[in-house]
Amino acid sequence: MTDSTLSPVGTRPKRPIEVLRERHGGISGELKTYVSNQQKVYKALRTALKAGPRTVPQLAAECGIPSPEVMWHLMALRRYGEVLDGPEENGYLLYTLAGA
Amino acid sequence: MADMRDRYDALVIGGGIAGMQAALDLGEQGFEVLLVERTPSIGGVMVGLNKVFPTLDCSSCICTPRMAESAHHPRIRLQTYTEVRHVDAVGSGFGVELECKPRYLSEETCIGCDECELACPVEVPHEFDYGLGARRAIYIPHGNAIPQKAVLDLEHCIFCGKCEKVCPTHCIDFTAESRAVHVDVGTVIVASGLDILPMGKKPEYGGAKLPNVMNPLAMERIQSSNGPYGRVLRPADGKIPKSIAYVQCAGSRDRSIGVPYCSRVCCMYALKQALLLTHYIHGIEVTLYYMDIRAFGKGYEQFYRRAVREGVKVVKGKVARITEADNYDLLLRVELLDEGGRVDEHRYDLVVLSQGLIPGWHPAGVIDIDEADDGFIETPEIKLNPSFTTLPGVFVGGVAAGPKDIPDAIVEAGEAAMAAANYLIRTRWRSRSHAA
Repeated sequence: MTDSTLSPVGTRPKRPIEVLRERHGGISGELKTYVSNQQKVYKALRTALKAGPRTVPQLAAECGIPSPEVMWHLMALRRYGEVLDGPEENGYLLYTLAGA
Repeated sequence: MADMRDRYDALVIGGGIAGMQAALDLGEQGFEVLLVERTPSIGGVMVGLNKVFPTLDCSSCICTPRMAESAHHPRIRLQTYTEVRHVDAVGSGFGVELECKPRYLSEETCIGCDECELACPVEVPHEFDYGLGARRAIYIPHGNAIPQKAVLDLEHCIFCGKCEKVCPTHCIDFTAESRAVHVDVGTVIVASGLDILPMGKKPEYGGAKLPNVMNPLAMERIQSSNGPYGRVLRPADGKIPKSIAYVQCAGSRDRSIGVPYCSRVCCMYALKQALLLTHYIHGIEVTLYYMDIRAFGKGYEQFYRRAVREGVKVVKGKVARITEADNYDLLLRVELLDEGGRVDEHRYDLVVLSQGLIPGWHPAGVIDIDEADDGFIETPEIKLNPSFTTLPGVFVGGVAAGPKDIPDAIVEAGEAAMAAANYLIRTRWRSRSHAA
């Protein structure tokens, strides 16, 4: 007899992560929006950087995203190895996609 | 590290430099110590600083050996990510209720490899970098964290399970729950440290809405080699700043915001940061607007003179208002006190507010000791017994008793440890293993 036969027919035991999710009350709408926006910003930044090195103000202008927001997300990509520092241009650093 | 038991000689509340010092001093004297820290790592504020004044030693290089010593000491039990919920006087000792918060992984099997963090898809502002950098929903607190164990921030978890899938030791444990623990101790040392005045307290300085107006601890992170940007850049647009203003007494010596006292360290940290900026960025102009320069410690006056000699501009002036110009530059309206109160306006790339220090924790409802009018722990015998609180057997060390620099915090923590040791001997308290 396997463990799965102990559950009612058509159901399976809940995994610990599912139990925790339920206990926590699921994912809030606010968090869903936050994550979705974050993915949109990253996508826009990656697309712009594929075309070549950019400064933060250049990315902000190209992507239509306020520059403080670009800066934060770009530094997040940098921290996790997706973006590298490049040379200085007119008082700003140029950033490139890692492996580009 | 010692195992968790139900009886200790001393409880130390707070794992910053003062708490670690007090715990080590007691441990070295043969006492069994429980060191409780509410965040996931010990090290406190000091481990996040760039360099210390006046020696310009690397702060984390000084702090991390103490962290490792505290964590590996045979008579210190380190309990991170744990809140002290209640401390009751029982006879000469104390009954302590703790809440051990779940990291959602096994601390025994987590190897701190950060595979879970790399796999996590959610990024949130990192507290260690004062929001300037990012961490993920599951993360190692920082590179120098002790213990080097991950922690899951449930508020930002989307329950995707990626961390669990990539963990090489299968340490992720979604069944973990908060755990209440009771321990008996003979004495308590409060070393709960500091916080910095919230940026929004002064609407005339931008009310925390201007991205290029920052607090000094955030500037420490920006200047650190392991900081959020890897170099000094301004948060609004990544520009390499060429002009920076420091506004002294921006959150202290000001009754209107409830901080009437001098925070004692702002002049020195501002001078230190200003001097370092002249080293980091060629041709930068750094101006410090002050009411008085209070450089009172050993070697501090010499440091002040060095900073001025090496190009930091100090101006006796009161900054009345900070507004944002175009391109996120900042306009400072200043009353120049050495020029008969003439009002002038200057433009800067970045402004650092020398915010005052406030208590990092309040004991109300947890432990029956009084706070002074300024919110720091009351020390009724300040002259002869500076670590005594209003409750016999409970002592205070470090900034929990009032603003001070690192050397003074360490000295006072050592004094608290000695007073606690005397109390344990006088009351003949013995933890089980100590008696054995």
